Amino acid sequence: MRKGFRFYIALWGAKFGTMILKLFRRNATFFPGKFALKVCPDFIGKIEKPRTIIAVTGTNGKTTVCNMIEDILKDNNYVFIDNKYGSNIDAGIATTLISGASLMGKAKKDLAVLEVDERSAPKVYPYLTPTYLVCTNLFRDSLMRNAHTEFISGILTKYIPKETTLILNGDDLIASNIAPENKRIYFGIDRLPTDTEKCENIARDIIACPKCNTKLFYDYVRYNHIGKAHCPKCDFKSPEIDYLATNIDLKNMKLTLKNGNLIEEYDLISDNIINIYNIVTVITVLKQIGLSQKQINESLKKQKIVDTRYSEEVVDGIKIITHLAKGMNPIACSRVFDYVRKYKGNKVVILFLDDLHEAANGSENIAWQYDTDYEFLNNDSIKQIIIAGARYLDGYVRLQMAGIDKAKISCQRDEMSALDNIKLNGIETVFILHDLYSMELKESAKKKVEVMIRTKIENKA
Amino acid sequence: MKIEILFPEFCNLFGDMYNMKYLKMCIPDAEFIETALEEEPAFVKENVNFIYLGPMTENTQEKVIAKLLPYKERIIELIDKNVVFLFTGNAVEVLGKYIENEDGSKIDGLGIFDVYAKRDMFHRHNSYLIGKYEDIEVIGFKSQFTMMYGDNTKTPFIEVEKGIGINKDSKIEGIKKNNFIGTYLIGPLLILNPLFTKKILEMLGVDNEVALKEDTMAAYEARIKELRRL
Repeated sequence: MRKGFRFYIALWGAKFGTMILKLFRRNATFFPGKFALKVCPDFIGKIEKPRTIIAVTGTNGKTTVCNMIEDILKDNNYVFIDNKYGSNIDAGIATTLISGASLMGKAKKDLAVLEVDERSAPKVYPYLTPTYLVCTNLFRDSLMRNAHTEFISGILTKYIPKETTLILNGDDLIASNIAPENKRIYFGIDRLPTDTEKCENIARDIIACPKCNTKLFYDYVRYNHIGKAHCPKCDFKSPEIDYLATNIDLKNMKLTLKNGNLIEEYDLISDNIINIYNIVTVITVLKQIGLSQKQINESLKKQKIVDTRYSEEVVDGIKIITHLAKGMNPIACSRVFDYVRKYKGNKVVILFLDDLHEAANGSENIAWQYDTDYEFLNNDSIKQIIIAGARYLDGYVRLQMAGIDKAKISCQRDEMSALDNIKLNGIETVFILHDLYSMELKESAKKKVEVMIRTKIENKA
Repeated sequence: MKIEILFPEFCNLFGDMYNMKYLKMCIPDAEFIETALEEEPAFVKENVNFIYLGPMTENTQEKVIAKLLPYKERIIELIDKNVVFLFTGNAVEVLGKYIENEDGSKIDGLGIFDVYAKRDMFHRHNSYLIGKYEDIEVIGFKSQFTMMYGDNTKTPFIEVEKGIGINKDSKIEGIKKNNFIGTYLIGPLLILNPLFTKKILEMLGVDNEVALKEDTMAAYEARIKELRRL
């Protein structure tokens, strides 16, 4: 593609802007790209790109998967560019490509790992052809932005370049069917003892066959539409898995990965099914680009799910777990609720799930709460639920709609005051579930709960 | 009391199915029939008191139109007989004249109402609404790719105080003809609006109080205050 005058103005202007922003210690992860795209709308197409591009998209897990791929590659001395600290839309991707290019627009590195927001497909893929495009899963997400899974899978199918090899979650009947003409590799997890024949979740986006409308027969359901299914009338079915995780051994924290005749063992760094999927995804991608089992596993063992997403600490015998539960994202929240209910021992659950931006400037649309399995919190081991924030009254109704006894629920507008109502007697774990934009609130709440636990123990003494 | 939920395996977006769960809590002895797209709707041969259709994907709209088209006259008959209908989100478009795509192509609807919808799949409209329905205030949320056009002034559902009606230039939301209610409002509409739910119960001839009355009213009143402040 001929670059032209506008391209160089865009590139040099963006590079100059990056320098200025860095001088003032500001993040240069979005605006340089935004400027470049304003000056030269097909900038992403014109800039020279690394020879191998791994793009990661999907509703949930793309950030974790990218972080893990990047950390393992770095640990194995690979050099690459990534948008780890930048945005995952077109401007962020342009910024990453600018940072990885010379003043003449030549790529300085051979490899890129890019997280790409699925909604940005029309603005990214016409100009950038990923060598591999990973789709972690496709679920209901923010209904205001992403509408529904058919819309998202539709735009992915429309815009993904035909030359791209797809790495898809074969246990997800929606994600596994995007861009059907493309070359594809499926990863998945073999049937688990916890899989069921009936789905417990509210949101299921593929109940009937998309080809003939017949109700699908699920051989087993893991959660939502994740599982294995086939149409009893036509040939629609879950695909054969290329990289299949078997023997998920939570006691010894190991998994076995089958790829044809090859059988390899890997370490698990989390017992959460979401993270096990993330690990299997990462291994599949890295195997695909040529890393050995030893290279992957030695680095994998050093990985840790980042503290902003999950942390645990024991204070005088009571565990405090903070867990990200993205508000407005029904499946992400439901998975966390499921994890909480299955976690051993008696617990208190604190819910800070409101969108703080909406709380300050608008009035949050709570439709997502009714796609979310609050019913999972209706569990004997959950002794108390504290719900606070702008939408505390809506949350109070939602919890009751889930059949949760009023006596178990404490609701209040002010988040920190709401914590005063915690009853710690007989409690082994306090879960603080928080939205992505409630990090400060989560930290303050965690500190307050720590103090409350210590005070309680001292008073007892 | 028979309540028919049409095609819940497809038409279940945005948490709208909880409208029916809430209705079940309000009328515990009602019989709820869930009709799959493959099946013949119960309303075709039986007397049902309430018919519900929730929001769906754009492809599903075409399937639902094809499914309901043979029963167009029966639907008109039931509307005339004051059977209660609630169609939420883009479900209401199914009964219009047509749905127009960005490229000008059209999908014919059932043509029961003199309205049509235009899609713009690149721009999703999101807004909140407060408006008047009879003597009560209704609140809710919209999130949609389409706008509706045509004359709904003779069959208005909500007179909009804040927000938009069937399109950005309209202050009249939805369609109400006899006991048929079609609205672009999505989500847990009945839970958010206990007073409106009470109206539905009255339409059905049920004297029950709404479920979780005290708490749904507290949330409703707080939301109205909040929306008025914006």
